[in-house]
Amino acid sequence: MSGPNPSIVATIVRKDLKAFARDRFYFWISVAGLVVYVVVFWVLPDTVNESITVGATGAGIETMLEKAAGEGSEGLNLVAFDSRENLETAVANGKGDVALGLAFPDDFFESVMAGRPVIVSIVATAAVPPELRTAMTSFVREAAFAISGDPLPVSLQEQILGVDRVGDQVSLREKMRPLLAFLVLLLEMMSLAGIIASEIQSRTVVAVITTPARIFDFLTAKIVFGTLLAFSQVVLLLVAIRSLSGEPLLVLTTMLLGSLMVTAFALIAGSFGRDFITVLFWSMLFMIPMMIPAFGLLFPGSASVWIKAIPTYGLVEILTGTTSYGDGWAEAVPNLALLGGWTVIAYVAGLGILRKKVRSL
Amino acid sequence: MPVIEVRDLSFSYGDVVAVDGVSFDVADGEILGLLGPNGAGKSTTIKMLTGQLRPDSGSISVLGMSMPEQTQDIQARIGVCFEEKNLYENMSARENLAFFARLFGIKKMDFDPFLRRVGLIDRADDRVSTYSKGMRQRLMITRALINSPDVLFLDEPTDGLDPVSSQAVRKVIEAEAARGASVILTTHDMHEADQLSDRVAFLNEGRIEALDTSENLKLEHGRRSVKIRSRSGDHVDEIVIDLDGSQVGDEISRAVSVEGLMTIHTEEATLEDIFIKLTGRSLEA
Repeated sequence: MSGPNPSIVATIVRKDLKAFARDRFYFWISVAGLVVYVVVFWVLPDTVNESITVGATGAGIETMLEKAAGEGSEGLNLVAFDSRENLETAVANGKGDVALGLAFPDDFFESVMAGRPVIVSIVATAAVPPELRTAMTSFVREAAFAISGDPLPVSLQEQILGVDRVGDQVSLREKMRPLLAFLVLLLEMMSLAGIIASEIQSRTVVAVITTPARIFDFLTAKIVFGTLLAFSQVVLLLVAIRSLSGEPLLVLTTMLLGSLMVTAFALIAGSFGRDFITVLFWSMLFMIPMMIPAFGLLFPGSASVWIKAIPTYGLVEILTGTTSYGDGWAEAVPNLALLGGWTVIAYVAGLGILRKKVRSL
Repeated sequence: MPVIEVRDLSFSYGDVVAVDGVSFDVADGEILGLLGPNGAGKSTTIKMLTGQLRPDSGSISVLGMSMPEQTQDIQARIGVCFEEKNLYENMSARENLAFFARLFGIKKMDFDPFLRRVGLIDRADDRVSTYSKGMRQRLMITRALINSPDVLFLDEPTDGLDPVSSQAVRKVIEAEAARGASVILTTHDMHEADQLSDRVAFLNEGRIEALDTSENLKLEHGRRSVKIRSRSGDHVDEIVIDLDGSQVGDEISRAVSVEGLMTIHTEEATLEDIFIKLTGRSLEA
């Protein structure tokens, strides 16, 4: 089988560009989306608030807090409560921004001095990330050490998964960078899916493939158009939010792969879409799981290992690593390979489904 | 040598046989009408002849080239007008034509003569979404002609059109045949098939039940008669005399000699009558 006919592909791409520009909804939502995302990025805070308010209760706790305040409690704003009930109420209601509480036993000092094991209760709501609870355990250990000069007779084990970014906290603005880039890609995925669904429903594709144009030319044109659309939009966004300064070639390569991947998803969504609502439905079906890695950045500690299996994980990791932590090609290669692999899989599925759909018309 | 040669063509949608061993030829400049009710296999036959569907069995030759091996070469020399109005709605008539012309490798073309011919020149730059059904159909026909095709496939070209649009479409079809293009048109409109077609094929349940000129079909399968109506008092009498009977002259003489003679009509079988006679089904089924 010979390759695509460049003249025919270019003709279909030009027609699609015209159709896109004339579709008021998709055109303006693309423009508005780009502008809003850029504004959101620059409006978000660029600073990191690393302090956390922790409540505590127990006999003589004020003395311990004073000691601890000077040793090993950077970022902690410690507030004493006169009873455990009050502490629990404050934690449950979030009163005074108390994120969690520590309830020390009344014989805490005596036990620590005597080297006896003690139990300190951590009072927290289910929303508190496990990492914060672990941090509190460490804090108590530090406090006991400050009091007795010896470590608590409790041994704690910590396992750090992935790269330990302790001390490398990034601002909300930085965390939003991959999510915004991904939202732009997904928006363009919807635009292409809408155009494909329209071609199928109106059966204009049948008129096209009964000329010298083949299905192969039609599919190639859709891939070129979708990738051009998504890539150009995301590059505009990255320029506007200054994300091309570190490793521009790496970021552009990643975004090109990302654009190719969302185009493949658009082939699938467009094949199944019948109208705007069904296109939206099928697009959302892909969009929501694909956004999880980007959301995982916003809520550290909420991500599980299985997130690495989501096709967009590599894209988010590369963009975050490059723009926030100065990663280069060496660090990005495994994620690039992952992203490339998923893109190939997405195309096998997308092209197969759309081809079958067109043949069935 | 026929422009189109179809032999033992068959196609099934799953267990449903749509086309069952169809064979026919179409000569240079000939208009062949495929006549049959919905579901008879007309559109499926057209789809196979235009490369949209691959036959389960049988052979197709168009302009001396074989399907599916030379589908692309064949598609470069044919024009197709689909039953559904598959035009780009947010583009104008001129833009639609320009797009499809480019797919045929035609980079520059004056579309005005085409648009003038079908009465769309005044609306050539309006978006198709603002067109009436008749205007869209005329544009569909025009689109099928932009590559000056040697063979035209027209699927229900006048279905649902007003008489003015139907007439415009028929004139274009006749002009194309006069130019030398072979035309295959599907229709369930017996008048259209009768008016336009050099030959008519009756399709029923995927098979060709009869294939000949309208005249021959009527002669072979039809019944010729004369209907004479006369007034008698307050009511109207009607006599139908079979022209193939043995005493035709005497019967007509007697009938026209009565007082109060109103009308005399010769009657011949319609294609629909013949279709019903051959298949037991109506064309509107």
